Amino acid sequence: MADITTGAPPGSGGGPGGPGSGGPGSGDGGGSGAGTPPARDALEPTVAYAPGGGLAARVERSAVWRSMFRHPSLDTPRGRALQSFSNFFLHLYPVKVPRRVLRIRYSFRLGFIAAVLFGILLLTGVYLMFFYTPAVGSAYGDMQHLKTGVGFGQLVRNVHRWSAHLMVLVVFLHLVRTFYAGAYKKPREFNWVIGVVLLLLTLGLSFTGYLLPWDQLSYWAVTVGTNLVQYVPLLGKTLQNLLIGGSQIGQTTLLRFYALHVAVLPVAVVLTISIHIWRVRKDGFAVARSQESSSGAFEEEATAAPAPAVPATAPTHLYGGRVRVLGVVDRQSVTAEERPVDDTVFTWPHLLVRHVVFALGVSATVLGLGVAFAAPLRGLANPNLTPEPAKAPWYFAGLQELLSRFDPLLAGILVPIGAVIALVLLPYIDRNPSTVARRRKVAIVVFSGLMVVAVVLTVIGTFFRGPGWKFIAPWTHWYVEL
Amino acid sequence: MSSTRREFLRRGWQLGGALLGAAAVWTTYESLRPLGASGAGGVIKLGNYSNYPKGTATYVNEGHFYVANADNHLFAISQKCPHLGCRVPFCESSGRFECPCHGSTFDIGGEWIQGPAPTGMTQYKLTLDGQNVVVDTSKTLPPPPRGAHAYLTPPKGPPCAQKG
Repeated sequence: MADITTGAPPGSGGGPGGPGSGGPGSGDGGGSGAGTPPARDALEPTVAYAPGGGLAARVERSAVWRSMFRHPSLDTPRGRALQSFSNFFLHLYPVKVPRRVLRIRYSFRLGFIAAVLFGILLLTGVYLMFFYTPAVGSAYGDMQHLKTGVGFGQLVRNVHRWSAHLMVLVVFLHLVRTFYAGAYKKPREFNWVIGVVLLLLTLGLSFTGYLLPWDQLSYWAVTVGTNLVQYVPLLGKTLQNLLIGGSQIGQTTLLRFYALHVAVLPVAVVLTISIHIWRVRKDGFAVARSQESSSGAFEEEATAAPAPAVPATAPTHLYGGRVRVLGVVDRQSVTAEERPVDDTVFTWPHLLVRHVVFALGVSATVLGLGVAFAAPLRGLANPNLTPEPAKAPWYFAGLQELLSRFDPLLAGILVPIGAVIALVLLPYIDRNPSTVARRRKVAIVVFSGLMVVAVVLTVIGTFFRGPGWKFIAPWTHWYVEL
Repeated sequence: MSSTRREFLRRGWQLGGALLGAAAVWTTYESLRPLGASGAGGVIKLGNYSNYPKGTATYVNEGHFYVANADNHLFAISQKCPHLGCRVPFCESSGRFECPCHGSTFDIGGEWIQGPAPTGMTQYKLTLDGQNVVVDTSKTLPPPPRGAHAYLTPPKGPPCAQKG
């Protein structure tokens, strides 16, 4: 109650309920007692709007403003909670978060950075769309026009390019961190699966955008990349034909990739990210290692705050036989919510300020990259001239390296499809509830080994391969193009 | 087996939804499926077969393939590498097809010799109309499997590409 400041908006007649009507616990019914007119909106306290006659205060008190923003900017705990409840964007966050979430090492903010990069990609992508036509005859010319005839065209394209590469990298790192933190375990199994889907969608977004410049680099990288699909058993050729719209990359391919890149995949990513964030809120935050007991996650909290035991059968000898079972809930779901009150902080401003700083940092980074390094644009795509070497985009270079060494059945089918299936099934296969590294040795060793192999193959394919796929040290000749 | 009206309706909705989903998938596939996807698309007449002497591979830009004469057998060989789709040039000095991307090598008949390619090179249907060579690029023939060496001869000279 003491949080509410005074200063009723003019014309409200002091407001229904008076200063105490909006206190915690009285939101819905506050001020609607006998003889008092009902509140217009439970989330709109009739007090605490800015006093004074200044323009800003008058605007904030106006009916138009209050129809858009249904709460005053109260610098109080209740005010912050109201802001989170009634603001669409703030509502993505919980009102309060565990204090440890503020620490950078908690998540390295990788998920948030990926979301920021996606936002930058949307903004820059829309700008680029104004100057691009997905036609074989004009696409390359449009890229040159962007370079020379469009204000900040080259810079925006550079930022778009580096953001795309960074997003692939960051989403991958996010997945790796989630694994090492054990944050895919119950009750977050399905959110891990959604995360894997997001990784695949991110790869799809980046790959479909790769073709659009229609230069030699994009044409042959996509040629190599789409030919990987043909190794899928039974459906390989059909899938490849569906993807590129014919037997070789051409106008149909460009149009399909464009539609996928600017419409289908972004919508899918927005939808999937929404579900992903929503699940983070619903499933709760991952338990810190220090809070885990010897027998697994959540255990310490369970013993620290034991729920009253409810016997399976009605204990007729207790309370005179008058026991009513109101409900039976999973023990874990109860304990996951039972945190000390002082362990949480308000999202606004504590977490949001950090997020704003990170968003600015990410924006500055990609802007710096865009200023320093131009996105490549080779000669016009020529189906009759394969450049040496012809490499897939760097995130598929490991697969290309594998395909140059092993049977296509193994390298083109079993490894990539097996990896995706294994990632999806991981939380359901790994039933060990512990999130502590020393109790997950097998999982961590296997995962780390596979990650090392994947990274080494990608590095070799990207940096150490030259014409004829010959092994070349990158410091002798640089055959890397992003 | 008896069921309530509610169960019957629920199953009806589920079945209807499944049918609608299947129809949507099929329609999408049909509308996106490329026609004549097996080849470049059309019939190309290439003139007298005597224009393609033994041991040569002549590039046909119109259809992006080679007409190769291997021991007096004519083949229409796609320029596309069966490994990852790179264009495979014919190396005059070695008399072989050599892929610049990953080093796959094929003999003049398109048969696999070495490298990561899973099969020999894709071929189009080639016929003789009298003395004229006709290639139907809408019809591909099964590529020769690995191990088929009907037209393998020693290389004429040094290879064009450095192998990895």
